[in-house]
Amino acid sequence: MQACSKTEMSPVPQPVELEVPANFPVPPSMPDNPLTREGIELGRRLFYDKRLSGNNTISCASCHSQSLSFSDGVALSQIGVSGSILHRHAPALLNMAWANNGLFWDGGSTNLESQAFAPLANRDEMNQELYELVNELKAVPDYVNRFREAFNDPEIKTGSIVKALAQFQRTLIAGQSRYDKFRRQEPGATLTVQEREGLQLVQSKCMGCHQGELFTDNRYHNNGIDQDFSDASLEGLFQGRFRISYDPADLGSFKTPTLRNVMLTAPYMHDGRFATINAVLDHYSSGVLSSPSLDPLMKQNGGMPGIPLSNSEKQSIIAFLKALTDESFISNPRFSNPH
Amino acid sequence: MKKIIYMAAFAAVLASSCKKETVISEHDGELTLSFDAKAGTGDFALNQDITIGTRTYNFKSLRYWVSNVVLVKSDGTEYAVPESYYLLEETGPVVVQEGDYTYPAKKREDVVLKNIPMAEYKAVKFSIGVDATHNDNLSLQAGELSQLSGMTNVSWMWHTSYIFTSLQGTVKEGATSKTFLAETGVNTNYKTLSLNLPSAMRVSSAKSAKITLDVDVAKAIDGIDLIATPTIGASQASVMATLADNYATKAITVTIAK
Repeated sequence: MQACSKTEMSPVPQPVELEVPANFPVPPSMPDNPLTREGIELGRRLFYDKRLSGNNTISCASCHSQSLSFSDGVALSQIGVSGSILHRHAPALLNMAWANNGLFWDGGSTNLESQAFAPLANRDEMNQELYELVNELKAVPDYVNRFREAFNDPEIKTGSIVKALAQFQRTLIAGQSRYDKFRRQEPGATLTVQEREGLQLVQSKCMGCHQGELFTDNRYHNNGIDQDFSDASLEGLFQGRFRISYDPADLGSFKTPTLRNVMLTAPYMHDGRFATINAVLDHYSSGVLSSPSLDPLMKQNGGMPGIPLSNSEKQSIIAFLKALTDESFISNPRFSNPH
Repeated sequence: MKKIIYMAAFAAVLASSCKKETVISEHDGELTLSFDAKAGTGDFALNQDITIGTRTYNFKSLRYWVSNVVLVKSDGTEYAVPESYYLLEETGPVVVQEGDYTYPAKKREDVVLKNIPMAEYKAVKFSIGVDATHNDNLSLQAGELSQLSGMTNVSWMWHTSYIFTSLQGTVKEGATSKTFLAETGVNTNYKTLSLNLPSAMRVSSAKSAKITLDVDVAKAIDGIDLIATPTIGASQASVMATLADNYATKAITVTIAK
């Protein structure tokens, strides 16, 4: 009897299994923050809540918009609380459940939970004093209930805020593109001849980094967009993963973004320097700069820097990349603004 | 026959309850770990000139995490203190979140461990810093771990992790003067100490027990030239490793256990 009434008073949050597309690998387990129906829904509400910024003007979604595969469409945003131009391009958020090799362009955060503290607290981003956020959320009875249900904890804690955000982000799975349906041999699913040629080109020339069904290896590479990394200003901002590892081989290395939904996530690179996918392909075919830390995968030109591509090959790759867009992802009501 | 069994059971209940009553007079107790900061032979103090070797130091702050405390009983079995993450410190006000919040000036040398199993203990183990599980995941806020104590990485906006130890101040030699900030962090510098007590020590409710440890900053910076390297952090990997080793191997010693 006692056990029964106790259960009723604090319902155990309901465990949720990710709906993993059949062609995807098994996602890494996150035992410290298991997915629950209540945690995911709370995370969605927080993701879209402007209370999470210091002056209550922006939410996570302000720079991670569903219509752009949770990116923002600008090179370097200046809609943060300070209005200052940011130093990094807002990354798209998709298939984050597999992103277990560092977050941020230089991988300085080990998981989504830790990562969330940075944009929340950064003066030029959300500039949210964390104790103040806890108090703001405590003042909303609906949040008090939802936190208690999701984490079996009468208190709202900063750790629970970032756990909920991480849970929601791990549900953002994009795997319903035309390519996926073709890959899974679903009835009626086809790719055009040009798209198939693009797929083969990607497999032979790009898969070193854009690996597997996730189209990323979640690793860090110097892809030759710069060649002088002597500028150590802004705490090594221009030195890529070197600022985390202090390994000279990581100078100018940044995280491989996925090719999935890439036609929705322009501009490109860690600083958004390339406005179009054409500019990206032009870089790889004829703009790769040499430096000691240049990834050998960028030397596909008889040992010289560059990945030669003809114009028609570029067009085929672009045709394939379009077939990698998951349209249902950007209209999925489970990912949209609940407020 | 049935009666005899009942009688035996009754007797057993009596016996066990009697035994329990005798145990109740002494039970689990409290143990204080007292980390006494020193600067060589003298006491550590902030904002005072302190001479170590040929140099004059003026310290502004000493802070470090003590974590995962394990008490070793005389029979060799161990008791791991749950949720044991403690911030030891002697510091002026600390600016957190780029000034949104100020952590108040504080001196904290004692850690009071409650509900320690009644037993005789011969050694104590603990780590300086934060283990990889918690260092890599700031949402796991065990014990005193917090993002808002100013002991997350100074660069945690892009490298989210804890500062393990931090010593700040100025150093002078002759006409040369430097402001220094000597920090340790990153998982490879998480170090565990195992220290034998001078004599076995009983912990129980009968009397409060205390282990006093010296934490000597002179030994922490032994072999490190803070005039040549006034900033020690992740980008000075080898000096930072030396500093972390010093904390683990020579700076902290048990002086009294009673």
